Amino acid sequence: MTMLTVNTVTRRFGGFKAVDGVSLALAAGEILGIAGTNGAGKSTLFAAIAGQQPADEGEIRFDGHDITRLAPYRRARLGLVRTFQVPREFKSLTVHDNLMAAAPNPVGERLLNAFVPTRHLRAHEARLAEKADGILQFLNLARVRDVQAGGLSGGQKKLVELGRVLMLDPRCILLDEPFAGVNPVLIGEICDRVRQLNAQGIAFIVIEHHLQALKSLSGRMVVMDRGRILAEGDPQAVLDDPRVQEAYMGGVA
Amino acid sequence: MTWIDLANLLVNGLMEGLVVALPALAMTLVMGVNRFPQAATGDFMTLGAYAAVGCQVLLAMPLWAAALAGAVATAAVSALSYQLIFRKLAGRPMVASMLAAIGLGFLLRSLIAFFAGHDQRTFDMPLVRAWNWGGLRVLPTDLVIAGIALACLLAVFVLLYRTSFGRQLRAVADSADLARASGIRARGLMLALWLLVGAIAAIGGVLLGMKAVVMPEMGWEFLIPAFAAMVLGGIGSPVGAVLGALLLCVAQELSVPLFGPSYKLVLSFAVLALVLLLRPAGIMGRIQLVR
Amino acid sequence: MVAYLSAIGIVALIYALLALGLNLQFGLTRLVNFGVVAFFALGAYTSGLLSLQGVPLAACFVAAALLSALLALPIGLLSLRLRDDYLAIVTLGFSEAVRITIQQEEWLTKGVQGLPGLPRLFAGWGSPAADLAIFALLAAVVALVVAGTVRLARSPFGRLLRAIGDDEAALSALGKDPAWFKVQIFMLGAALFGLAGAFYAHFITFITPDQFIPLVTFYVWMGLVMGGTGSVRGALLGSVLLMVFLEGSRFVKDWVPGVSEVGMASLRLAAVGLALILVTLYRPHGIFGGRQP
Repeated sequence: MTMLTVNTVTRRFGGFKAVDGVSLALAAGEILGIAGTNGAGKSTLFAAIAGQQPADEGEIRFDGHDITRLAPYRRARLGLVRTFQVPREFKSLTVHDNLMAAAPNPVGERLLNAFVPTRHLRAHEARLAEKADGILQFLNLARVRDVQAGGLSGGQKKLVELGRVLMLDPRCILLDEPFAGVNPVLIGEICDRVRQLNAQGIAFIVIEHHLQALKSLSGRMVVMDRGRILAEGDPQAVLDDPRVQEAYMGGVA
Repeated sequence: MTWIDLANLLVNGLMEGLVVALPALAMTLVMGVNRFPQAATGDFMTLGAYAAVGCQVLLAMPLWAAALAGAVATAAVSALSYQLIFRKLAGRPMVASMLAAIGLGFLLRSLIAFFAGHDQRTFDMPLVRAWNWGGLRVLPTDLVIAGIALACLLAVFVLLYRTSFGRQLRAVADSADLARASGIRARGLMLALWLLVGAIAAIGGVLLGMKAVVMPEMGWEFLIPAFAAMVLGGIGSPVGAVLGALLLCVAQELSVPLFGPSYKLVLSFAVLALVLLLRPAGIMGRIQLVR
Repeated sequence: MVAYLSAIGIVALIYALLALGLNLQFGLTRLVNFGVVAFFALGAYTSGLLSLQGVPLAACFVAAALLSALLALPIGLLSLRLRDDYLAIVTLGFSEAVRITIQQEEWLTKGVQGLPGLPRLFAGWGSPAADLAIFALLAAVVALVVAGTVRLARSPFGRLLRAIGDDEAALSALGKDPAWFKVQIFMLGAALFGLAGAFYAHFITFITPDQFIPLVTFYVWMGLVMGGTGSVRGALLGSVLLMVFLEGSRFVKDWVPGVSEVGMASLRLAAVGLALILVTLYRPHGIFGGRQP
């Protein structure tokens, strides 16, 4: 069953096409890897899918909904979430509060309830806190639960971002370079977590430059070059593709 | 209201617009390159005007020389303020630069008021009678002022679009990283830019002082209109700044029969708010710089 | 002497109220409001005009806060679409537009002549009892606002505000639309500014449009930034520092020969300008210090 379809999406900056007529599909429960040289348009594609930037042409559908013109926060509410290439943790909040701030909490976040919190709300808050702690445990972040997120290492910040999106019980997570600037041991840990979450039914699209890690993680892979899809299919086959190898000769592999 | 009245308002608006175009241009250049609204631009205008008045009164310089001296002095202060203040705040959140600019404006304005007093001053200019073409009244001095403003604008445009300095400036405005990577020496470029905007603002101040009076609040009063003109024309677009200034000042003049002269600034604010609501990119700008 | 000290205390508390409001808007949520004085003016004139019609003071104060909050709604909505620096200039422009409108609409506000003879709080008590009573009342109000702010900052709503201040786009990517929250906090801050305006009006009893110039906004900013933004302590400390500065400059005039009242005002403005520059340059934690209540 297809969860996400991207249909000939194009994104322009002036005359320059950062994403040029890209189409792809993500099946439910799949892990799709996206690789490509610098400037290939991978992050721009993510931005179009998640909503930070508009698609100038084409259509994006998630779970049967047309999300092409939808605001980012609405896409997230449908279950489509993302992390960022450079981590965007809430610097002044603790790790725990980062997750709590992410948790859907429409009633708790009413202004009036700030001054007169009912017992019902306190109970709800306690439940969210428990869920957050569980996720922190899962991500091995329990030790830094009450540390200000701005002071963490790069790898830890990426885990916090992952923890945050997990509070939304997402269906599909877009991971933007989860391994960039992260030490090898942590890369392995992140891969394990992703596989575990995938086993629970969450689909992933992962942009990465660490081709070995990406290959081991992905069920299917796509390589982009200059805004277009160069090759698609089985990870090893894609990496062996002569066109892909040629594209990487001049780029970062 | 007759056609002649309308024509008078239009002509007045266009002439004032040419003068307001100068601080608007100065603001848009800094906005495009340094990415923050230079809130002391108005007070640079005041500084230029007072420096020129000072030269005329104390040193008995002819008006043109005094104006030039004023421009040089203000250019120096502007470059100094970049070197000492804004360069250091470049990596910080924009609030910092804005607060510092407001502070700089206060400092300049208050020192001027302290040393030169609050009394209105005027430039020593020949008394002339307005020309009258069947009801269309134009002061020759206003015409000269508009002409000087136009000449100044043209000079800046030649600088921006026909010299390597201008090319580099526009490259940096498009992308600071890109410009740095291609070997453009940002530091010297920035200083040159701030010298330029200081001079432009100063000339605007002198022209304003020639048109009306010189007083400590004169430039500050034009901050919002200059900003509105910049936004209307499109942030970062020099042509836009001029167009925006012309349009805004014409609109201001046309509003006078309806709301009276005191509400001009309110109109500027209304234009500002409307443009940002409806078409943030302005006439010629790019939307990325606004949201 | 008591009258003098309580006067200083009252003004300090009024600034504290303004700083607390700005702390909600900028300290927590990073909304750059350069138009604080607009709502201060609105509160003062609303309360003043109503009181001259015989409306009991308590109702005037409430009206002042409510009207300011109401006017903050369109500005708040405008702010949703604006980046920091644009919001700053737009709010600055708004405050000047408000001042000019107050000045021009003489039929309502008596224009430049202002509104004299506003009823004072605790009018029948006589000095110094009245002054002390005003001080006590203000202190109680400020204490209440402090408690409320701390409560707010620690609540889920406050957590959200800090997240917005940290990274709005990231919050949006997590399924929450910052818009309505920003508007609400803008209105809440404005209500505090309006309340402060009402206290001001009924303390000095004579208000004119040129008491409500942008300088007042930047006094509050200066105080907040010096004290450390994002914390209630900072807002209170900043107000004290501000009062020390403002009152201190009054005494400097007695030491420096040959400086007129007007000259003193210019020097004070120069000092504020210099302080703003120096604080932003050399006290970065003043501007983005840790945002805990």
